[in-house]
Amino acid sequence: MKKIILLICILFLAACSNSASGGNDFPTKNVEIVAPASPGGGWDLTARSVQKLLNDNNLVDANINVVNKPGGGGEVGWQYIQSKDAHNLAINSSLLITNNLLGTSDLTHKDFTPLATLATEWQALAVPVDSEFKSLEDLMNQFKKDPKSVKVGVGPALGNDDHLSFVQAVREYDVDPKNVDFLVYEGGGDVVTALLGGHVGVVTTSLSEVKEQHLAGKVRILAISSEERVEGLEDVPTYQEEGLDIVFPHWRGIMGPPDMTEEEIAYWDEKLSEMVKTDQWQEVMKNNDWEGFYKNSSETKKFLEEQTKLYQDLVNDSGLGQ
Amino acid sequence: MDMSTFMQGLTTALEPMNLLWIVIGGFLGTIVGMLPGLGPATAVAVLIPVTFGMDPVSALILMAAIYYGAMYGGSRSSILLNTPGDGSAIAATFDGYPMARKGMAGQALAISAVASFIGGLIAVAGFILLAEPLANFALKFGPAEYFLLMLLTLSAIISLSIGRMVKGFIAMLIGLMLSTFGIDTQTGVYRFTFDIPHLSEGIDFLIVIIGIYAVGEVLYNLLTIDKQKKEKKKIGKVWFDKDQWKRSKWPILRSGPIGFIVGVLPGAGGSIASMISYTTEKQISKKSEEFGEGAPEGLAAPESANNSASVGAMIPLLTMGIPGSGTTAVMLGALIMLGIRPGPMLFESDPGLVWTFVNSMFIGNIVLVIINIALVGLLVKILDTPAKVLYPIILLLAFIGTYTLSYSAIDFFLLIIFGYLGLLFKLFDFPIAPLVLAVIVGSDMEQNFRMAVLSSNGSLGVFFQSPISIGLIILTILSLFYPLIMKLIRNRKRKHASEQRKGA
Repeated sequence: MKKIILLICILFLAACSNSASGGNDFPTKNVEIVAPASPGGGWDLTARSVQKLLNDNNLVDANINVVNKPGGGGEVGWQYIQSKDAHNLAINSSLLITNNLLGTSDLTHKDFTPLATLATEWQALAVPVDSEFKSLEDLMNQFKKDPKSVKVGVGPALGNDDHLSFVQAVREYDVDPKNVDFLVYEGGGDVVTALLGGHVGVVTTSLSEVKEQHLAGKVRILAISSEERVEGLEDVPTYQEEGLDIVFPHWRGIMGPPDMTEEEIAYWDEKLSEMVKTDQWQEVMKNNDWEGFYKNSSETKKFLEEQTKLYQDLVNDSGLGQ
Repeated sequence: MDMSTFMQGLTTALEPMNLLWIVIGGFLGTIVGMLPGLGPATAVAVLIPVTFGMDPVSALILMAAIYYGAMYGGSRSSILLNTPGDGSAIAATFDGYPMARKGMAGQALAISAVASFIGGLIAVAGFILLAEPLANFALKFGPAEYFLLMLLTLSAIISLSIGRMVKGFIAMLIGLMLSTFGIDTQTGVYRFTFDIPHLSEGIDFLIVIIGIYAVGEVLYNLLTIDKQKKEKKKIGKVWFDKDQWKRSKWPILRSGPIGFIVGVLPGAGGSIASMISYTTEKQISKKSEEFGEGAPEGLAAPESANNSASVGAMIPLLTMGIPGSGTTAVMLGALIMLGIRPGPMLFESDPGLVWTFVNSMFIGNIVLVIINIALVGLLVKILDTPAKVLYPIILLLAFIGTYTLSYSAIDFFLLIIFGYLGLLFKLFDFPIAPLVLAVIVGSDMEQNFRMAVLSSNGSLGVFFQSPISIGLIILTILSLFYPLIMKLIRNRKRKHASEQRKGA
């Protein structure tokens, strides 16, 4: 017991001594990166990668902590930084836009200061390898004939990128997305299990979830939402090549509280743009099957506005809108 | 399997550094498993930053050791304090706690460690021989099969509350109602969230476990604290006797494979595995009336099952890249950060890693049984701790454990509410396990039911289509009626015997 008390005291001292460092105009205290999710998930790992890279490359002259604030599809974490200052950043993704459109949140990207778009994944549409559908066209024609004949696996929630990218694809074929049956699984892994077991006919998910299975010859990816074919999957066409006008990034970014000063924005623009140039960041992206998608603060702001328009449209068509 | 890669894996696993990670992971796992609320998922998640700098093999070894270490540890507090550390340790309260109250705490701790050990070994052997066919079998489980598996689990637990069946049903229904809180996955509709974003993910079953068991137990003891005599509780021997071993031997050997197979199914896991093995043993036992009163086999069976389930859960993770439980999901994230993408290619692209890992589980189980038996003497001292010291500590741990779940103070209110619910359950003699199990499986059960019906365009025939479904339905019916049938047969035999006696 004495040892434990001693240990706690040491930890406490360590924490105190750390917070005393710093000294420039900004940052004046510890930096906090909020992962609006539980440890171990995608947002958490993004936050921890950013923390590690900023630390390892001595980019930020302050301690950086990752704080997990899970709940409400990001809502809890984002609400948390709303009342903080420029030392508190949060990881985000398209849920920042869709939560509001789906009516589950009052927050929009306008309630924050976008700092950067960091990277993107691409969406993939996959069928079992022995499926009768050999191409995107085969599949879409079947949906046109009878939208309920093929069940679509998606996860973890309707209204996310996986779902909406599919909505965008079917409506190009004049199929009403409202008539399609979606089976909603808890996550990308469950969706792939269901596909392998033949419990759904097609899945729409992140490319990384099905890439290995495609290479192993267990599923067939019919189309990818990227602009150009993806390295390592040269046999898989893009939506554009299949005649659909779709490029659908599944991006993730980072933002700060509202009302940040010009200097603070410039500070983070500089640091984050340096971070994405490091070799380590390339490695992180490679391990996660992400692609470089860096946009600085002002570009991200514009990007988010365009995205909001697109998502508004898709959410309405999906029948989920308010 | 290639013998030389296997041996190579064994050598790598025995490297001093890796051996050290096994011991650290196993020890850490045992500790977090013991503490209510702090489970393996939290422990692995907290260690993710540490694994960033590690060799991928060592990281995997460490994380897995924490995982099955927690299966050993989870039952410690179930036995000693009637407060399970995790969902998979609930079944250990049924007979483990009564054993401790009878002064057999030492024996209970020892037998559960040995049962975990044997269950673990069976599962590692299963992993080596059957990894791929089992992974393919698991794929056959669609929404209909999952629904039926969960129905079987609930009917099994209801059948346990014989004598107070109605109370068991009421408890289960409360649990099912609690599981409807949060966002409805199929439609995205928010249910019972009262505009609190935190509630949108539903009520974490761990809060229910900690509240009802740990806080409830403390509150209950608070009421009775003055009446308790200051007698020195008997601790008993720290090793089980021959008779206990004879009774437990076969249940342990039977439960290992059961737990392993349930563990392989993504999403099923240790809670379901231990519950199914417990009821199986109770129903086939000749001494089924002793179950719940401190039967050693009633403790040994679920302990063997939950540990082998944790090994089984590694199969979908490594062969398909599909996490089957909360902990393996966190592990998957960590492995991806290290540049390893578990999946169908892993066995071919990196056999060294796979076989080192398998061997580390083998060594890990040996290390853990030694750690846990060595700890028995120390742990039983908890029973000697005065209530006024022990219960505040339990409360403190309960609150810390709850906070680590989602770092939100709202959970404290839930914790207190469930604490009082637990108190009421104890006062009115309601069984707790049906409620907790219903909270654990309820939401998955509902979603799978709806997915199954959606995929069949509304026909209920989907539940009778596959051989697996039929098998599960038969087991469900058996689990509900077998105890009744047995009772009838026994009564008739007795009648028959007495008639014969009369005749003679």
